[in-house]
Amino acid sequence: MHHAHYLIVGASHAALSALHAIRLHDTEGDVTLLTRDDSLPYSPTVLPYVVSGRSDPGRVFLRDEAYFAEHKVNYLRGANVRNLNAGANAVELADGSRIGFDKLLLATGAAPLLPPIPGLAGLKFHVLRTLADALALREALPQVKRALVLGGGLIGMHAAENLAKGGVDVSVVELQPHVLSGYFDAEAAGIIEGVFSSKGVHLLTGKSVASVAAKGAGCRALLADGTEIEADLLLVATGVAPVTDFLAGSGVATERGVLVDEHMRTNVANIWAAGDVAQARGFFSDSRIINGILPDAVDQGRIAGMAMAEDPGIKTYAGGVPLNTYSFFGEQAVSVGVHEGALDSSGVEVKKQVDAAAKRYLKIVLKENRLAGIFGVNSAFDPGIMWELILRAIDLGDEKLAFLRSPQDTARALMSRNWR
Amino acid sequence: MGAAYETIYFKADACDGCNECMSACARAKAQSDDQLQSRIQIVPSGEGFELALCRQCGDPECVLNCPAGALAKNAGSGVIAWDGSKCVNCLLCTVGCAYGGIAYDAQAGHVIKCDMCAGDPACVKVCTTGALKHVKTARIYNEVGNLEDLFAPGLSGCQGCNTELIMRHTLRRIGPDVVVATPPGCIPGMGSVGYNGLTGTKVPVFHPLLTNTASMLAGVRRHYKRMGRDVMAVALAGDGGTADVGFQSLSGAAERGEEILYICVDNEGYMNTGMQRSGCTPYGAWTSTTPVGERAHGKTQDAKNLPLLMVMHNCAYVATASTAFMQDLYDKLERAIEAAKTGFAYLHIYSPCTTGWRFPSDQNIEVARKAVETNFVLLWEFNPRDGLQLTHPAENAKPIDEYLEVLGKYRHLDPDQVEHIERTLANNLARIRGFAAAKGTASAEAGRG
Amino acid sequence: MSAVLAPKPAKAESKLVVCDGNEAAAWAVSLANVDMVAVYPITPQSSLVEYLAKFIADGRLGAEIVDVEGEHSVLSVLQGACLAGARTYTASCGPGLAFMFEPYLRTPGMRLPLVMTIVTRDTLTPQSVWGGHQDAMSVREVGWVQMYCESVQEVLDTTIMAYKIAEHHDVMLPVNICHDGNYLSFGAARCELPDQAEVNAFLGEKDVNWHVALDPQRPMAVDPLTGGAGGPGPSAFVRYRKGQCSGMQNSLKVITDMHEEWGRRFGRSHAPLIESYRMDGADYAIVTIGSMTGAAKDAVDAARARGEKVGLVKVKTYRPFPAEALASALAQVKAFGVVDRSVSFGWNCGPLFQDAITAMQCAPTRIPAMSFIGGLAGADLTVTHFERVIGRTKELARDGRPAATVWLNEKD
Repeated sequence: MHHAHYLIVGASHAALSALHAIRLHDTEGDVTLLTRDDSLPYSPTVLPYVVSGRSDPGRVFLRDEAYFAEHKVNYLRGANVRNLNAGANAVELADGSRIGFDKLLLATGAAPLLPPIPGLAGLKFHVLRTLADALALREALPQVKRALVLGGGLIGMHAAENLAKGGVDVSVVELQPHVLSGYFDAEAAGIIEGVFSSKGVHLLTGKSVASVAAKGAGCRALLADGTEIEADLLLVATGVAPVTDFLAGSGVATERGVLVDEHMRTNVANIWAAGDVAQARGFFSDSRIINGILPDAVDQGRIAGMAMAEDPGIKTYAGGVPLNTYSFFGEQAVSVGVHEGALDSSGVEVKKQVDAAAKRYLKIVLKENRLAGIFGVNSAFDPGIMWELILRAIDLGDEKLAFLRSPQDTARALMSRNWR
Repeated sequence: MGAAYETIYFKADACDGCNECMSACARAKAQSDDQLQSRIQIVPSGEGFELALCRQCGDPECVLNCPAGALAKNAGSGVIAWDGSKCVNCLLCTVGCAYGGIAYDAQAGHVIKCDMCAGDPACVKVCTTGALKHVKTARIYNEVGNLEDLFAPGLSGCQGCNTELIMRHTLRRIGPDVVVATPPGCIPGMGSVGYNGLTGTKVPVFHPLLTNTASMLAGVRRHYKRMGRDVMAVALAGDGGTADVGFQSLSGAAERGEEILYICVDNEGYMNTGMQRSGCTPYGAWTSTTPVGERAHGKTQDAKNLPLLMVMHNCAYVATASTAFMQDLYDKLERAIEAAKTGFAYLHIYSPCTTGWRFPSDQNIEVARKAVETNFVLLWEFNPRDGLQLTHPAENAKPIDEYLEVLGKYRHLDPDQVEHIERTLANNLARIRGFAAAKGTASAEAGRG
Repeated sequence: MSAVLAPKPAKAESKLVVCDGNEAAAWAVSLANVDMVAVYPITPQSSLVEYLAKFIADGRLGAEIVDVEGEHSVLSVLQGACLAGARTYTASCGPGLAFMFEPYLRTPGMRLPLVMTIVTRDTLTPQSVWGGHQDAMSVREVGWVQMYCESVQEVLDTTIMAYKIAEHHDVMLPVNICHDGNYLSFGAARCELPDQAEVNAFLGEKDVNWHVALDPQRPMAVDPLTGGAGGPGPSAFVRYRKGQCSGMQNSLKVITDMHEEWGRRFGRSHAPLIESYRMDGADYAIVTIGSMTGAAKDAVDAARARGEKVGLVKVKTYRPFPAEALASALAQVKAFGVVDRSVSFGWNCGPLFQDAITAMQCAPTRIPAMSFIGGLAGADLTVTHFERVIGRTKELARDGRPAATVWLNEKD
């Protein structure tokens, strides 16, 4: 049985960030990285671009063999963890082999969450979480004239855009009243929806699918309101859920994801979790949330890696701040932080500037003179600086008005003065 | 040991907001006059200006955030390079950057960031105020960082000692084929030669007398040369042993062109023995032998200009240096090492003394910097072929108060004394400029003298 | 003259020259193949360094010559060179010796086998450029070996021997060869130059910095601080000092051995520590040092011819002081007079006198002795002066009542 000092399950952003942090502090300890995939590490975020053809599937890898060799990392492909025996400090792989560890990082990420729609189980449909999914979808495209996308989140919208650009007649069904509801309010989403509509994408928001059935080589969906949609291709992008099934009976505590503390440690002393699989404290609430975004996975991975390597420079996880960036049809949307609705209303100020015709939107949410959220469509500001302003709880003081008027320049000046 | 990289340094209080840097960047990188396309962004901040620019971070978050492998830090140059053929425009890199160093350019339709213009940044070239500087000191680290520190750890210098810094830097660069003379003073005082059978130096080192450093080294070097061995002879000496009681042997060795690198570490007095006055103590300074009382207010004479005296010996190389300007110091050290292969090389390094000059021990480099920025210390170099030239601009010097007020040894100065110091500095500058204007002629005359 | 001419060994290819003591010293330095000479001119040493400069300029001596800016640097340059492995030489005197005192003081403690001639000169002030032993005598307690020569030939031979004595592992101390300013420095005499190959064989390979070196191939710290009353204590210092004293005492035997070997190799012998002259059955004796001895011997010869039972003891090695040899040489006399060419200020007598009476401490009975001081400021000490010394010492042998120090040239 191979025994690793550091065993990392997963090979995407959280895993690679942890590996990087470990190697900054411990250049020698045995590190073994397990991935279900049969390839070098890649990011799920890049997959829509593989589908669209923008990204060459041969050039999306985040690390190469030379990196692993140079950093003395044992990188195992096709290693699907079947279960964890925390007491024995070992994992068992699907092929029955076992790998021991001194310290374990769970960075298994998330997998598509399939909605309980009658008829779906027996149907041929696509999801988009792995490179194999992306390649399968890309291969299917040339034959597709009409497509149905279930879910108006980031993956669904990316896919819809790519399909539309390929000349496909696309319909998107979203249960929420507007698309991208995790990040944008109705007004901002309205601008985004307008762009999609102008490109011929049918957005059916506030709708649920009652059933789906096969129709020829494609499918037919019946919505709750009675609408029928036929399509050659069905993409299910209704959300993801942490991959925790292999933890059953392991003693590692889970809720929706693996519960971790402020150093990404689980309830088991030598096991950590980071990234989309982890349920960690939120910045704006005491409860533990699954933030599920790439920059947070990088952050959590670093903290976990530093904790595992016992790096004395470790900092406490500040808590997940929702944020995202979204480019669509050449337009940009960015969201950092929370909307006013998520905050106790005392001391909350909201400033909104909207020019729907120019497809421009900006909303700033302040709480007690500190930034809580900033959301923009085609509005220039630096999300990294805004995130830092939130984390540092910088009091805008006399510069509040300047900030509200000109958030990018004012934030840059604040940054340059405060943490240059 | 890792690598260090060149960087662009921004000094906010020197920026006048002319925005020429942005124009230069936009022109260089986007052939555009639109400052929004500049990768360097100057923003107003109250009365002044601040900067958003890629820091070329050592552990860059933008790179870790990129899902497409489109960003990578070049191990050679340190520049974080953006690969447009891989970028998917997801903007996640902009989330990772807390400095506004990578941002979406609507004109270009993708993110843009500074690439250091392949080592010759366009923005710095157009900056006339000194707000932007292309700092190349990384070269020093890359060149000498892996070289062994030839002094042992744990020398017992005072906290924040500049002299220890000078010792370690210079010897690391000079290397092990050397004989080092450290006459009585702080340098052996902190244990470089050693104590009771233990030494603080990994190369041959000795205590000359306070008086004979240059001549003992001359004997060492001459004999090795006679034997066909290239062994450097290096002095690390204080200003007292150099300018005062050791001056005769120094002058003789310089006149004879002995192949020595003589480094004078000038802390403006006999600091090791309790801060007494030396010939290098400046006018007005408190020392334990020029105390401040009812009838006396510090030293009543100006410091002797020792490096200029060495110019008059027509040495193969003479330079003044400061640890606040390490790139300059290393450049000069390099030339001094080369010059010492065929003649006498003299390096005069100013070394503020936290203990003897009375300032906080974390302020040493700042004090050294202020000394140069106020022209209290002039940085220049000389060789017989090219004559003397200033290596740090003496124009736009800061008011001398900015230097004097941080040092306890000048706390008692009255306005007349400050005026005397100002006059002395002006004279020094005029004299040095005179030499600089004379170029090679001055040295030829010195050679005949 | 002290040199006893004996048949030369067949292989030695010596040649005869007529030269003064300064040139003889330069010849010796040349024959000793020194690596480095550092010089600064001073009367009456100047011609010595001029000879050296000429020898080097002519390629006779392949040494590095450093014309330094003062005697202080003379010795400093040589210390550095010696620490790098060089065999070195210099010469000085009087004010020059005073100026080099700081590095001079330090040389024995570093156990550096430097060889240096003191072309003896009286010290300032009164202003004087003439011979006298006051300079050399003033540094007698510093830790250098001191040998005083009587003749030009002895200058040459002793200077070569000095290297072998200084570099001997039992000694490792600097050596001064003292030759009298004016009399030996400028007095020309017939002098035999030994064969170079034979000198090479006598001196062997130089080995000057095996014990202390400034050499990147053998990195070490030279002369770090030793402990004092606090902390680690003074033991290291005391051990160094004691070792230095042992080296001095060891040199008595080494000097004797070297003189013996010199006689064997070159057929020319010099008394190593002291020379006893006509001491057989002597009732009283005079004690001399340096070039005055020639005239003193003539005076003793004349006195003996008159039937006076007088002998002479010449001190060659003055530091370390050959106490045992002197005590044994004078053991049988009833009185002795010591002629010094310098003074001991605090004792109102000559320093050699002081050393002699101290040495005689171990004699079974106290032997009356008197101090004579002569030859100051280059004054000539003639047979007439020594007749006075012999006469006064005879009186002392009779009445056993020593008088105050006698100043020989006071009325010259």
